[in-house]
Amino acid sequence: MKILVSLIMIFSFMFASDATIEVIKKVESLPSIAVEDASVSYDDTFRLQFFKAVVADLNVISLFNVDRYHRVTEYDAKRVLVENKDKNYVLRYQMYEDDSEALNVTMKLIEDDAEVYSKSYKVKKKNIYMFIAHAMAYDINEYMGEPSVEWMKKKVIFARIVAPKKSEIVIADYTLSYQHTIVKGGFNLFPKWATKEQRSFYYTSLDGLKPTLKYVDIRTAKVKSMMSSDGMLVCSDVSRDGRTLLLTMAKHGQPDIYTYNLDTKKFRRETKYGGIDVNAQFMGKDKIIFISGRLGYPNVFSKSLVTDEIEQLVYYGRSNSACSSHGEYVVYKARETSNAFEANTFNLHLISMKTDFIRRLTATGVNEFPRFSDDGDAILFIKNYKNQSAIGIIRLNHNKNYLFPLKYGRVQSMDW
Amino acid sequence: MKSIVLSSVAVALLVFSGCSEKQPVVEKQQEVKKPVAQEVAAVETESVASDDSMVDTSTNSSSHTMSMAEIESQLSPVYFAFDKYNITPEMQQKISAAAELGKTGAADYSVKLEGNCDEWGSDEYNFALGLKRADAVKKSLVAEGIDPSRISMVSYGESNPVCTEKTQECWAKNRRVDFKLLP
Repeated sequence: MKILVSLIMIFSFMFASDATIEVIKKVESLPSIAVEDASVSYDDTFRLQFFKAVVADLNVISLFNVDRYHRVTEYDAKRVLVENKDKNYVLRYQMYEDDSEALNVTMKLIEDDAEVYSKSYKVKKKNIYMFIAHAMAYDINEYMGEPSVEWMKKKVIFARIVAPKKSEIVIADYTLSYQHTIVKGGFNLFPKWATKEQRSFYYTSLDGLKPTLKYVDIRTAKVKSMMSSDGMLVCSDVSRDGRTLLLTMAKHGQPDIYTYNLDTKKFRRETKYGGIDVNAQFMGKDKIIFISGRLGYPNVFSKSLVTDEIEQLVYYGRSNSACSSHGEYVVYKARETSNAFEANTFNLHLISMKTDFIRRLTATGVNEFPRFSDDGDAILFIKNYKNQSAIGIIRLNHNKNYLFPLKYGRVQSMDW
Repeated sequence: MKSIVLSSVAVALLVFSGCSEKQPVVEKQQEVKKPVAQEVAAVETESVASDDSMVDTSTNSSSHTMSMAEIESQLSPVYFAFDKYNITPEMQQKISAAAELGKTGAADYSVKLEGNCDEWGSDEYNFALGLKRADAVKKSLVAEGIDPSRISMVSYGESNPVCTEKTQECWAKNRRVDFKLLP
């Protein structure tokens, strides 16, 4: 009996934190939360806009069943609204404009008619209200003692195709509700943050005779040409310290993976296969994963930067053409069989280096360009479905997906 | 205490106005007991001038452009099968015709081979596929006697479609290599 119990315990510990195992039942046990608006300034349209942003962010932190009704109350009211009295939590906030036209928000979290947490926020202009909503959700998540959702405050940079050979590079918040076009005009793709601080980025310009990798400091908007390569040049990944780039370059028309050290200015060719090797991502410090056509179809491989040993990582899917890694986990894009679905469906799958499980993360449309958050808590991806392009977020440990559609154009590539 | 808070907020405002910081920064002032408003700054960035990303075509004289355009119109695209970059015999004929033109009417020009793909995927693999298509055409042109130094290549992946309908025929039209003449 003891052996049996200990075996069960070992088994449950082994799989306790395995993100490749789906959590299905958890949603029913989530506490409920309602949001009460006690704003004194601004019109109804803006109030509703802010309310929706708060509800969306509360949903994304995946800790609550969020009530979607917009209800109005007094900020200092002793009790929560009668409609909300059965809710476990009530988030009440007040928006007000001060003399300098700055947007101020004060919020309090109420549990059993008692205030348990409160905080105030301020932004200079009301059009960037979404950053307050993100900060509120971030703080509530912290208060609830959950693992940090730091990625919520990260900026997303993406290339938007607006016409054939015409694109823009845009910096946005993760919900795409704030957007600033930083590179306008021309044909510029594959933006990639240069450092974790997100103050500069690389992108590929296809306007000249040869594809050129450019570097932009977003504070000064100064653009620096880094290098050119015939045919193709993409910065696929940047090391954690920001000093080594993983590039896909095509000297003599042959797409291969190169590392480039910014300090020594030296290139090293990492792959030499005569077909296609692309999309390298750092997996720790001494290993990369990449997409190669060496089996006759695109699939995910790893390579040690020390021993040069190459290993096939994925054994499911006949066409796996994009990947991202975090720790022991690899997320990849696979083309599904075209029989059961419409012409072409691409789904994202998650595997662990330590188990044999495969978890399918998406169900319909073209899902591509997966990118892990820094802490591995979430995956950002591009979804193209029925002529609409969206950026999606997968909360791995909560088994939830959220989509944020783009108003116009199509997302080509992104980073966060 | 209040003056410290006010001055720290004032310093923060100076810092942010001075360097146009982009971080959606949320200042932490946890030690202050009173509810002090957090400054939440947005992503403020300068736009990169569009002039920088435009191709300068002002050097082309009009008569030169006309004759280039005429020759270019005779160079029809080379098409490929789904997920393939090998050249079929039918397409080889087109390349042979292009090589012949390259030795006669277009002998003064260089050529840029633009590889393209259908809409299934915006990832690097698709770009590489477009490039391998351009490279296959280049190798074929060189085999036909064209000087490789006259040929440059680029891949546009799926970002340069000539047809945007959701049909098999349309996707087939986008899996192509275009010839663009350069002076």
